[in-house]
Amino acid sequence: MNDLTLEIIDLSLSFKGLMETTKVLHDVSLTIGQKEKVALVGESGSGKSVTARLVLGLLQAQSKTRVSGTINFEGKDLAWMTARERSQLRGTRMSMIFQDPVSALNPVYRIENQFHEVLKRKRPTISFDDARVESMAILGDVNITEPERVLKSFPFQLSGGMNQRVMIAMGLINEPTLLIADEPGTALDVTVQDQTLRLMHDMVEERGTSVFFISHNLGVVREFSDRLYVIYQGRIVEEGKTEDVFANPKHPYTRALLAAVPSITSGDTISDAINDTSAFLAPREVH
Amino acid sequence: MGNVLNLLIRRVWISLLVLVGVSILIFLIARVIPGDPARIALGPNATDEQVIKLRGELHLDDPIWKQYGYFASELLQGDLGTSLYTNRPVVKDIAQFLPATLELVFAAGILMVLIGLPLGIISAKYEGRFLDNLIRVIALLGVSAPSFVWAVILMLLFAFFLPLFPIAGRIHTDFDIDRTTGFLLIDTLLVGNLRAFVDALWHLFLPAFALALSGIGQAARLTRANMTETYRRPYIEMAHSYGFPGWRVARKYAFKPSLIPSLTIIGLDFAAMLGNAFLVEAIFAWPGLSRYGVAVILRKDLNAIVGTVLIISAAFLIANLIVDLLIALLNPKIRYARRNP
Ligand SMILES: Nc1ncnc2c1ncn2[C@@H]1O[C@H](COP(=O)(O)OP(=O)(O)O)[C@@H](O)[C@H]1O
Ligand SMILES: [Mg+2]
Repeated sequence: MNDLTLEIIDLSLSFKGLMETTKVLHDVSLTIGQKEKVALVGESGSGKSVTARLVLGLLQAQSKTRVSGTINFEGKDLAWMTARERSQLRGTRMSMIFQDPVSALNPVYRIENQFHEVLKRKRPTISFDDARVESMAILGDVNITEPERVLKSFPFQLSGGMNQRVMIAMGLINEPTLLIADEPGTALDVTVQDQTLRLMHDMVEERGTSVFFISHNLGVVREFSDRLYVIYQGRIVEEGKTEDVFANPKHPYTRALLAAVPSITSGDTISDAINDTSAFLAPREVH
Repeated sequence: MGNVLNLLIRRVWISLLVLVGVSILIFLIARVIPGDPARIALGPNATDEQVIKLRGELHLDDPIWKQYGYFASELLQGDLGTSLYTNRPVVKDIAQFLPATLELVFAAGILMVLIGLPLGIISAKYEGRFLDNLIRVIALLGVSAPSFVWAVILMLLFAFFLPLFPIAGRIHTDFDIDRTTGFLLIDTLLVGNLRAFVDALWHLFLPAFALALSGIGQAARLTRANMTETYRRPYIEMAHSYGFPGWRVARKYAFKPSLIPSLTIIGLDFAAMLGNAFLVEAIFAWPGLSRYGVAVILRKDLNAIVGTVLIISAAFLIANLIVDLLIALLNPKIRYARRNP
């Protein structure tokens, strides 16, 4: 037994289509230690979100997926758990933050109801009023000055930045050991995204939460994560401490990614900018 | 809540305007149909003097706008005139026949919601699987035939070949129930006659089901379509990522947001049932407004025709009003929208 929060070993995933199966993850391995913030970086379509969904156990049950490899969460193999046991981990031991906070919150329920739902995951009998008190406290932690008003609001009544804070608070209120953030705030404007990321950083530092941080933006990753993995077409091509990778990128794809930092933030892919991508398939580099 | 009240007031005004428009239109149409209502009313043996006298009493020789004026001022006092067919105030006639129709339509509306929505929810939750396909076939069957066709089929199958249900009428003639509200399901309970209540329910089931079938299909299909669309929204994935149980996600995250667009159509369907009820009533010999309506049209009973159409329009408008109100109450974007930002 080790004390890793998340350990992924040789994870592969294929989607069965009508005619053929497409393999979207090829032997992905990565680890996240306790209190560690680890990033998975790659362009759009490289397999970041499916990795996150596999960790949450959301894809395994689908009939069109074929999964192999191991995902150990807190030392336990997800594959050995029942669907029920996996779902019991979600929202309690691990939780997720999404790209667009406004569309990720339920449009027809007040924020306070949504907090109540989330809190009930850990304590099924918690009362609405107790849930309110706890929600107020954590909204204070994410620097929301009028928690009363926010709790009474529907998502459409709040700004994108405000919704993002709400989502961070929701993600952390049950004190999960692992927070998965899939391109958090990419839908927001850059300064708001920056603010909320810094806030999230402080929150997880304080709580000692491990973070699996997914992004296509190396610039953001540099500020946020302790270690990073670079993924290209479903394969990890480089891994290492963030500062090491930035100081001395070894893999051709990572170098291209770094060179493209200013333009990739606008959503372009590297492959669009570079003609010869054959070097990107070179073996994995480890720092 | 101020928004909802505003909306309600505005909608009531619009409904009233529509009602005035309908009253003018139907009044004109009724006057334009050929044939002299006074002569029809008095029968073939009436003398010319009698006809002229009745024409005078009915203001039939005045200009048409003046006639409408008389009609409108009486209408405002709750008087729809006297039926030339039954010789009773039209209001009394309608009060006698309307409850049977409303009972039928309400029952059909309840069946539509209680069967159609759950079918749609189950279908969406099991999208692409056997249960979904089964429900889709059933729903398609429901919408593929008009309600009077279903009425005939159901009657043949379940009242004639398989005599599970009574073939016609509202209640067995042995029961003599005081008409307090005119709604038999309520009146039987008011007098505490449980057997009569069950019997009335038994009579109601087939016609109501026939009337509801296309609505059930429509509601199921619509709910399924809206819900499968909603299932692809990010907040559904968020709900799954928090491990909420599947049925809870279906209800609170997929169904409720999709109910809002479904409701509009369900409301329209419900209102359309008022019209379809005419044929279903005729098939099941249901003593509702249709029998009266057909009789008065054939006799060119002006007051009764105008009165019947007005009442049905009013019921239609009220049904729509209620649906609009429900939507406003369900949709926080309407309830809490800032006014004139
Ligand atoms: N449900 C699905 N069915 C089929 N293919 C999928 C599905 N979800 C993702 N994919 C494919 O898997 C690959 C990785 O997708 P994803 O993980 O969403 O990429 P990203 O790195 O942008 O998050 C893509 O090629 C995508 O088309
Ligand atoms: Mg993604």
